[in-house]
Parts: sequence; C-alpha cells; structure tokens
Amino acid sequence: MKVLVAVKRVLDYNVKARVKADKSGIELANVKMSMNPFDEIAVEEALRIKEAGNAEEVIAVSIGPSQSQETIRTALAMGADRGILIETEEELQPLVIAKLLKHVVEKESPGLVIVGKQAIDDDSNQTGQMLSAMTGWAQATFASKVEFEGDALKVTREVDSGLESIKVAMPAVITTDLRLNEPRYAKLPNIMKAKKKPLETIPVADTGVTTTTGLSVVEVNEPEQRQAGVIVSDVSELVDKLKNEAKVI
Amino acid sequence: MSYTAPVRDIEFMLNKVVGLDEVAALPGFEEATPDLVAAILEESGKFTAEVLAPLNRVGDEQGSSWSEDGVTTPEGWKDAYQQFCENGWGALSFEPEYGGQGLPMCVSAAVQEMWHSSNMSFGLCPLLTQGAVDALHHHASDEMKERYVAKMVEGTWTGTMNLTEPQAGTDLASIRTRAEPDGDHYRISGQKIYITYGEHDLSENIIHLVLARLPDAPEGVKGISLFVVPKFLVNDDGSLGERNDVKCVSIEHKLGIHASPTCVMSYGDNDGAIGYLVGQENHGLMYMFTMMNQARHAVGVEGYAIAAGAYQKALAYAKDRKQGKTLLGTSEDDQGIINHPDVRRLLMTMRSGVDAMRGLALECAASFDKAAKHPDADKRDYYQRRGELLTPMVKGWSTEFGVELCSMGVQVHGGMGFVEETGAAQYYRDARITTIYEGTTAIQANDLIGRKTARDGGQGMKELTTEIRATVGELEKSNRAELQVMAKRLGDAVEALEDTTDWLLKQDNAALPAAGSVEYVMMSGRTVGGWMMARTALAATASSEDPKYSDAQITLARFFAEHELPKVGSGKQIVTEGGESTISIDVAML
Amino acid sequence: MSTLILAEHEGGALRPATLNVVAAATQIGNDVTLLVAGSGSDAVAQAASSLAGVTKVLHADDAAYENELAENLADLVMTIANDYEHILFAATASGKNVMPRVAAMLDVPGISDITEVQSADTFVRPIYAGNAMATVKSSDARKVITVRTTSFEAGAETGGSASVETLAATAASEKVSFIGQELSQSDRPELTSARVVVSGGRGMQDGENFKMLDEIAEKLNAAVGASRAAVDAGFVPNEYQVGQTGKVVAPDLYIAVGISGAIQHLAGMKDSKVIAAINKDEEAPIFQVADYGLVADLFDALPELSKGLDG
Ligand SMILES: Cc1cc2nc3c(=O)[nH]c(=O)nc-3n(C[C@H](O)[C@H](O)[C@H](O)COP(=O)(O)OP(=O)(O)OC[C@H]3O[C@@H](n4cnc5c(N)ncnc54)[C@H](O)[C@@H]3O)c2cc1C
Repeated sequence: MKVLVAVKRVLDYNVKARVKADKSGIELANVKMSMNPFDEIAVEEALRIKEAGNAEEVIAVSIGPSQSQETIRTALAMGADRGILIETEEELQPLVIAKLLKHVVEKESPGLVIVGKQAIDDDSNQTGQMLSAMTGWAQATFASKVEFEGDALKVTREVDSGLESIKVAMPAVITTDLRLNEPRYAKLPNIMKAKKKPLETIPVADTGVTTTTGLSVVEVNEPEQRQAGVIVSDVSELVDKLKNEAKVI
Repeated sequence: MSYTAPVRDIEFMLNKVVGLDEVAALPGFEEATPDLVAAILEESGKFTAEVLAPLNRVGDEQGSSWSEDGVTTPEGWKDAYQQFCENGWGALSFEPEYGGQGLPMCVSAAVQEMWHSSNMSFGLCPLLTQGAVDALHHHASDEMKERYVAKMVEGTWTGTMNLTEPQAGTDLASIRTRAEPDGDHYRISGQKIYITYGEHDLSENIIHLVLARLPDAPEGVKGISLFVVPKFLVNDDGSLGERNDVKCVSIEHKLGIHASPTCVMSYGDNDGAIGYLVGQENHGLMYMFTMMNQARHAVGVEGYAIAAGAYQKALAYAKDRKQGKTLLGTSEDDQGIINHPDVRRLLMTMRSGVDAMRGLALECAASFDKAAKHPDADKRDYYQRRGELLTPMVKGWSTEFGVELCSMGVQVHGGMGFVEETGAAQYYRDARITTIYEGTTAIQANDLIGRKTARDGGQGMKELTTEIRATVGELEKSNRAELQVMAKRLGDAVEALEDTTDWLLKQDNAALPAAGSVEYVMMSGRTVGGWMMARTALAATASSEDPKYSDAQITLARFFAEHELPKVGSGKQIVTEGGESTISIDVAML
Repeated sequence: MSTLILAEHEGGALRPATLNVVAAATQIGNDVTLLVAGSGSDAVAQAASSLAGVTKVLHADDAAYENELAENLADLVMTIANDYEHILFAATASGKNVMPRVAAMLDVPGISDITEVQSADTFVRPIYAGNAMATVKSSDARKVITVRTTSFEAGAETGGSASVETLAATAASEKVSFIGQELSQSDRPELTSARVVVSGGRGMQDGENFKMLDEIAEKLNAAVGASRAAVDAGFVPNEYQVGQTGKVVAPDLYIAVGISGAIQHLAGMKDSKVIAAINKDEEAPIFQVADYGLVADLFDALPELSKGLDG
C-alpha cells in the first residue's frame, strides 16, 4: 500500500504574521517558511505506518511555488520515499487543493491519504474533508490515534467533548490532530539521501483543474489589539479588582 | 534558554561571502551544494533550538556531579545526547569510510556554531570526541581505527584528550605520566587533570587519548607518546570487556560550563591501565600538533558561538526593557532601551562582531577544505598556509572578543545581567574558558608570530594582506559612501598590520615581539574580520533579493569598520612601541 | 432565498453553539431553517422550533445521525442544499467535520470560522491564528460557512414558533461506523459557554495540580481549560485545550494560570471580556493582553485566591 501525505509550506510557526501595508495579505517575502506543523505530524504518522509494515511507500505531495520543493525535501529527509510538487504561484483555496490532491490520488492509487487538520496560515480546516467527499473515501478527521484492524482502521478522534473512536474502511482520508504523534527530527544521513530521492514536478496547468473559485479576499486587516492592563501587587488586590472594578465575580 | 539559529546569516556568509560553491566544486565535496547545506543548517537549527537550548540552564544550575560510581550529567542530558547521536550530528565531518558524512569543514563549523550557541557544555562532548577521532584517523593503525573509530563517529563511545597534568599545562614537555611496555600493550600510570568529559554517563564507553612517557624516553617534547586507553577494554569482536584501571577521582567546581565534567583522572591505581600505542613511540606531541589546528579552530567557533547566544538574549531584553525616554524611539510605544544610542552600540558591536568572527572562522575552514581537496598542489599549499595562519586568529581573537561581547551582553541587561536569573551571566561565565583551554591566548600568539609568521618569513601574511588589498580596491570602486568608508578603514588597517609584521620580522630580541604578540593576534583577527565584513558588504550590494537585509549587512560592515578597525592602528603602536615598558620593570617592585 | 443551519444537539437538548449560529444567520437576513438530524430527537426538534428567528425546522430522525458522522450528515444536507443560499454550521469539531464535505459536493469553497457578517456575501474570518482578519466575498450561489460562536451573541431560546417538517433520512454510509467515546465527566459548565474560565498551562507542572484550579472553578462556577503545552504534556485531556487549534472561548472572565501566552493560545481566548493572568515570569506575553496581571508563583497564589474567594 502507498500512503500519500500532503505537506504545505507556510509561514514558520514561530514567526509573527504581519499584514501587508496594502492590506492584500500577509507579508511573506523574506520571512522564514516551514512545513505546516500538522503536516509534519501527517508525515510522521505515514512513516510509522510504513515502519510497522503496513505500507510500502510514503509519497509527499505539496502544492505551491517552486520553493515548496524544500518542504517536500524536509518530508523526504524525515523518511518519505518520493515527492510530487504541483507547481503554482497562485495561493489556492482548500477546494482547489482537494481537487488537485484527488488528481494525484487517481494517478497514484494510495490506500491512505493523511493530511494535517488545518494549515496554520489560512486556518481553514477543510482540505481533508473535501478530498474525502470528492473521492468518496471514508473520512477520519482530527485523529489522535490510528490503528490497523484488518483492512479497516480504528481512528481515535479529538472532539469537543473528549475522544471518540470510529472505524473506517480503506482507502480513507485521515486528518491529523496535535496529539497523534511527535514528529521526528530528520537524521543527517537522511537529509543527505533526501537530495537523491525522486521529486516530480507537475505544472498546475497540466492537471486540468480550474484554480479560480467564487471566493475572493477583499482585504486583510490587523486584528483589534487588546491593551495590557495593570499589574496588581497581590492576590487580595486581584480579587478586589475582579469584584469591584471589573465586576465579573 | 531560547535560541534561534541564525540560519540566514550563516548561509549568507557561507554562500555569498566565503564561497561554498568553490568548495563544493572540489572533488569529494560535490554533495555540499547550497540546497543541501541549507537543509542541514535548517534541521540543525531546529534540533539545537528545541533539544539543546532548553537544557542549557539546567546544565548550569545542576551541573554534573561526581560519586564513587562515576559522573552523572544533568537531567535530560542523556536523552538529548542519544537523540544527537541517532540524528547523526556527531558524524557530520568525518570520512564516509567510518560512517561519517564527509562534509567540508566549513559546513561542519557552521553546524557546530549552533551546538555551542545553544549549549556549549553539551557541545564540548562531541567536540572532544571529534578531536580524538581526528588523532586516530591521522595516526592510528588500520586495526586500531577499525576497533574504535566507527563507534566514536556514531557517538556510542566518546573520546577525550588527556594532555594536562598538574605540572604540565601549557608546557607539555614536562608530562610525567608513565607507560610501561607489557606485551602487545602498555601499562599507563599517572594523573591527568582538567580532562573534559573524562567520565560521564552519556555513552557506553569512553576512549581516552593519553600522552605519556616510556621509561627510556628522551627528556622533553621528543619523549612523549600517545596512547589509547579505553574505559572499558574492547574485545576482538568489538564487544565491551573489563573495566580498565582508569578512574575519575573528582571533578572541578568551576566558573562556567558546569555541566561539562572537568575531571581529575587517575591511571593505574592498581596494575596500570592498559593502553595501546598510537603510531610510533615518542611521536605523541607531534601527532597532537597535526590535529591542533582543527581543535583550536573548534574552540574559536565556541568563542563567537557563545557570543551569538548572548547577543540574542541581549537583543530581546533591550527591545523589551524600558528606562526613561529614549533618543531613538519613534513613538510612545517604541521606548525599549534598544533606542538608547549606547545600548545600540553594545548590540551593534555584538552583532557585527559575531558576524565578523563567523566570517573569519568559515573562511579559515574553507581554506582547510581547499587545502585538503584542491586538485592543484600549489593551491593546496597556498590554502594550507592560509588555514594555518588564520587558525590562531580564530582561536585567539574570537575567544577573547567573544568574552568581551558576552560581557557586553551582561551590560545590556544592567543589574539583571549580573543576577543569574536572565541567563546573560551564564554566557559570560561559560565563555571565559575558551581563551584558556586548547592553548591560552598567549600560546596562540606565540604560534602566530613564531610558527605562522616568522618561520615562513612572513609569506603567508603577505599573501593574506595582498588579498585584503584587492578587496580594498573593489570597495574603492563602489559608488556607495559606506563602502568608501570601509575602503579607507580597511586600507589603514591592512597597512598597520603589514607595518607591524615587518617590525616583528626584524626583531632579534625575542622578548619584545612576545610582549606584543597577543595584541598582534587581536589586530590580525580584527583586520581579517573587517575584511570578511567588507566582503559581506560587497556581496550585499550585489544582491537584490532583499534590499532591507542587504542594507543591514552593509550597515553592520560599516559599523565594524568604524568601531573595530581603528583599533588595528593603535595595535600597531602597542606592539611596536609598547614592548619595552612591558618587560623592563623590576619584578620585585610589582 | 433562505439560510439553512445544521443544528447541534446532545443528550436531547440543543447545544448552545446553535443559538450563536442562529444569531449569525439573523444578521445575514433571510429566513432561517434549522435542520435537526438525530436519533430519537423529537424533543430537540420541538426546542428548535421555539428559537427566536427560526422560521422552519426540518427534522430527520434516523439511527444514521446518532453519532454525528460527517458522511451521513453531509448526505442529508445535500438532499435539500439547493434550496438555500447560505448553509451554516457552528465552528465546532462537529461542524468543521461536516461543512467542507457539503461545500465540496456543491463545488463551492467553504468559508471557515466567520467572526463577522458584513453583508449577505461578505464575511470576516481570522487567519494566521487571529493575527490577521480576512474580509472575504463570495460570488457563488451557495455559501457554505462555519460560524465562530463566540463572535455572535446567542439568540433567544424562545419567542419563535416555527413549523416542524419531517425530512426523509438518507442511507447510512457503509464505510464508517461509530465505535465509542470517552467523554470527560464533569459537573463544570461547558468550556465554550461558561461565563468564567480558569485555565492552566505548563506552569501547573502536573495533572494533579489542576485540582487547585478545579477548586477555584467550583467557587466561581467556572469551566477549566488549558494551554496546548499542558495538554501535550498530558496534564489534562485534549478537550481542555484553548487556542488556535483547540477551542475558542470568550467568557466574561478568563483566568490564565501559569500560561505564558503563545500566539496560538491567545487566538483562543483574547476575546474574553476580562482577562486575569497569574505567572511568575513578568515577561510572559500573557501580561500583554491581561487586564489584571499578578506576577507570582502560582503555587502560592492559587491557595490564596481560593481563600480570597470565600471571603
Ligand atoms: C575547563 C577546562 C577544561 C579542560 N579540558 C582539558 C582537556 O580535555 N584535556 C586536557 O589535556 N587539558 C584540558 N584543560 C587544560 C588546559 O588546556 C590548560 O589549563 C591550559 O592549557 C593552560 O594550562 P595551565 O592551566 O597549566 O596554565 P599555565 O600553563 O600555568 O598558564 C598560566 C598562564 O601563563 C601563561 N603562559 C604559560 N606558558 C606561556 C608561554 N610559553 N608564553 C606565554 N605565556 C605563557 C598562560 O598563557 C597563562 O596565562 C582544561 C582546562 C580547563 C580549565
């Protein structure tokens, strides 16, 4: 079985996003970019599935500009076997990403697709579910544990009231939550090997997928800033302020 | 303590200034392409920031501790060391035949900077192992290499360097540890002091490289031999055998690097520790010298690496801390002390200083890379000379300046710098050792004026200043005012350095040059640092990728030229005129 | 045209989140239809019919809907989707699970987590963990949306008198089945709707110490939350997590204890009316958003606070 993982190049987790002066979006020129943290978890899970003998090949797919190759190389350095880049300079919405992933799924016929539950840039939390709906494959979102049970999977999901588990037939689409695993660091020899692993680039135009949608960004603004308040000197002052000034207790 | 590896600055220096492409074009280094090196630096940055940096503080507070059963490293160190090895970081620069990656020294130095910035006490363990592996690689028999090296490259075994004894520090000629022949091996007995990671709980075995004397050895430097003394003897099948007769009897309480155990090692309390001769008898010190450049370079990297850590800490504090109205703040909210011009000066000195030292160290490493792999023999000689010439500057200048910058880091914090809470003080304390071990600054200075300058009649220095002058010419051609300023300052500096070199070469009273030798290391280090910064500025002018970044590089280079290079001129005065007063006083009056 | 909302319910009652979604729908302006899908859910349908602003309730009752499986709910929505211009879900684990399927099947982009309705086709939503707010406009005939519940004041539970119509159930998916759940047992109010939230971070050091927060929560009738660091460290289960990828809360009072205040955490709580923070590190970013900050060791401060609340 092949496992397909989708990896997105996003503004690094530790870098504070700044709105561009013309409000057209976020400043991304010359800032540190990294793999979406949820996608690292996806890669890690795919590798563990392979290492446990439940898959033969892990393919990392990214959709984005040519620099997304670095993101794929990161996945390859972690241990993925090969990469596919669907190259586009446009910023695409989850609907389009899901269609492009479907294109790859049809070509590669994996038994499992693992994607992050959301990308920390647009925070949409849609791609996995959309891909599942488009392919008709079972959906297991927000996974915190994935277990093989014959030709089905038992997936433990993080939901608002705790954990729930579902059984899904394969092929399936899984989206990862934070507690699924702790991604490994790439080992130095693997970073070196990653350079030689195959990485195929497909221009987005060759997929036949329309990349425009009816949804457009009008503008992007800074959020309203909260002002820092006062530092109180002790607990009794805190209680007093909450009672008598803020009147919230 | 938080640390963010300055990946971008390192990459800029490597790619655009030092010229990684030239190194990667050499046979054997083809793999070291910029994209691969970028991936390595990125991952190393992540590992050091997430795994090593968080242990820096615990390391300082807990320190390593000694008991009869051995030395225990601080909480979390064992796991981190295991991860470090599993991820292959220890094997970066070693030859592929031993399981290393065979990457150039300039890449390995770039990575090692991150170890020491994030956690120098930790970084020392692989640093020492690397020294021991180098010694074995160059001088041990194939059989001996086979037995020890692969495990050391892996990190499952670590290595130590056992030179120092109570009476033999700088002067290794007075080493007394004895080695008695006993069949196919030797029995070692004696005491070694200050042995870094001489005992610890991070690895299965510890391979000690020990300098000792045979019973019939000639006096002095020509009578010292090098031995391998494993903590656990290694069986023919590679498994671990008996515990050898070597023991850590205590560890030192120190100013800094608390987590790095500095051990008093006792050899042969019972029947004598079993040791195996490396190479030939009585060649020990010579062997040490062949790997000295590497080891000294590594300590020089520590010097600026720790200043880089101190800089990050100081920068963050200066943005946050508010004291009074600043002259440079642009608004009510923008009143961090960073906007006081003097705090800026401190930070600019730290930042430009680290950049300059990094430039020097990477340039030196790239020279050794070329010396090792260049197809043209003349070029190999040329670069070997260059690497050797720059090494005492890397070790001497970068550690002294590194300490100074860490002190500035404390200063930026004000009182908070002096109290331990912020961690600024730890950088300062940890940095302090770097000017002492692996040859004190004075020893680097002796090396620079003696072996590296006088011995070749100043040829290496001449080659260097000629190249610097070429850069001055390029700066003069630029139409940017900042580069004109650099041209002037760098031109003045190189002239002062040349004058001083000429003066040194002419002296016959050895004491006068010796009195000014440390200053000579400082002035040459500064000049080469200024050269690297000027080349950075030239590269930045040529790069249109990110104008803001380029402008900042140019400003940093200009700052360095205006604040550090003038000291080269006064250095000339100190060296050429200040010797007499240094040495002439009646010691009884001191 | 009108707006369809997929109601959320559990234990025979609507989840409060649905009232917030109704409020958002009211701002859009069209008639509001509530779809109640469940098993044995008559009471829920009845309750739904009395919500202010709801004009119609569609009720599908079938075992397929018992456990909120996304496949089954999305298929059901699709049987009527073409009658609506807007299809709204709460931005809860359940709503996020279903919404994108519906959008994909309608071949329109989904619009996640809206915090503001500017007009029937223009919405504001946070991106980059709330470090930026994007105004987005849809020209599609159907707009499929999740609503950030804390951004819309809940609508009234009574005052409406909608008709309840039965909707034919769709077949349950054969590819997925529900196995079970591990829900936290707590008498505390639910995190996202509590008036007061007391949250702990890595500074709590272990799960046992969260009992100190429980004690305070008890006295304030508050819910207990946690930062990601505390959840990752295993101090408390995942459902406690407040933040960009956890729950978004906006109580009247949020008390952050031993939480440094990473951007990702602030994203989940910075709309709280009043924020109080206790942290021993005076440089912790949490103090930059707190109305009241106390620099203190939480192990000293919490027992005192608990005592102070008795007085
Ligand atoms: C923390 C720590 C770790 C160490 N790790 C190791 C290790 O792993 N292995 C090891 O073998 N050793 C190690 N050392 C020893 C270290 O290398 C020596 O301390 C160092 O070489 C200086 O020797 P010394 O202490 O005897 O000082 P001395 O040699 O007594 O020097 C005292 C002063 O005299 C000056 N001086 C001495 N000779 C000359 C000269 N010829 N010209 C000018 N000035 C001179 C020195 O510069 C210095 O200022 C370590 C030391 C420390 C403190």
